[in-house]
Amino acid sequence: MEAFNIAITGNVGAGKTSFIKTISEIEVVSTEKKASDEVNQLKHNTTVALDFGRLTLNAEQVLYLYGTPGQNRFDFMWEIIIEKAHAYIVLIDAHRPQDFYNGRRIFNFMQSKVNLPMIIGLTHTDCEGAWEADDVALALGLKNRRRRPPIITVNASDSSSVANSLICLLEQLMMANV
Amino acid sequence: MIQTLTLNDVLQQFVSGTPNIQGAALVSSDGLPLSSILPASMDEERTAAMSAAMLSLGERIGKELSRGVIERIFVEGDKGYSIMVGCGEDIVLLVLADKQAKQGLLFLEIKRITAKLAKMVA
Repeated sequence: MEAFNIAITGNVGAGKTSFIKTISEIEVVSTEKKASDEVNQLKHNTTVALDFGRLTLNAEQVLYLYGTPGQNRFDFMWEIIIEKAHAYIVLIDAHRPQDFYNGRRIFNFMQSKVNLPMIIGLTHTDCEGAWEADDVALALGLKNRRRRPPIITVNASDSSSVANSLICLLEQLMMANV
Repeated sequence: MIQTLTLNDVLQQFVSGTPNIQGAALVSSDGLPLSSILPASMDEERTAAMSAAMLSLGERIGKELSRGVIERIFVEGDKGYSIMVGCGEDIVLLVLADKQAKQGLLFLEIKRITAKLAKMVA
């Protein structure tokens, strides 16, 4: 059995925990705790260590999904998770431009640690004030259209949308391994 | 309203009044520092986040691997111990002790301080 470790990272409230809960075939190992800072205006609970889920693709391949916490103070967890990953997704909530800078920091952090196949998943694109993919790319500092990672729309609570994004990531992974 | 000054006083007394204890920190379960007496080389915010992450994983192990309610997380290194305990609801206490610390005594002192702190933050 071939196992791929997929890291799901991104801003607080981008939908990392939902993403894994939506697609995992096992009950997700999550470490959610009550948010005691300004995050509680966004949501009640926040991940403090990691989320873990599993998705079997076929008889030979399985995906292990590891979600990171979003806050910078947990960057030691980002490191632990990304070091074991084979590919990763950065989730950016398209309707919260004030968080793009932080998303860029997470993206840069990962790039400074590893050189892995990755994609950017835009969540909350149906919300008011959501930015277009090209504009988000610019905000993330990805100016060159041809050289930037794939940017796709993800609805973290819709299983076919989450599956699509994983397929896109796997394509990147296969291309990198050829 | 939690009184930072008194929490800090209690922690300070605990750290300086208990043999072999090198530091302590009180943090929220989502990893934010409330009060701490730590060696200068340690970053308060990072230490707080680590303590919360570790305790939450330990609690998860307790639940999923049927170990019941977790009393403490005990990390033993060749230079000393770090112990994380739940302290009332949504609060974590981290204690750092050197290698000379007697474990029984350490756990007893931690139990005592935890009860005291839990009352203060309730």
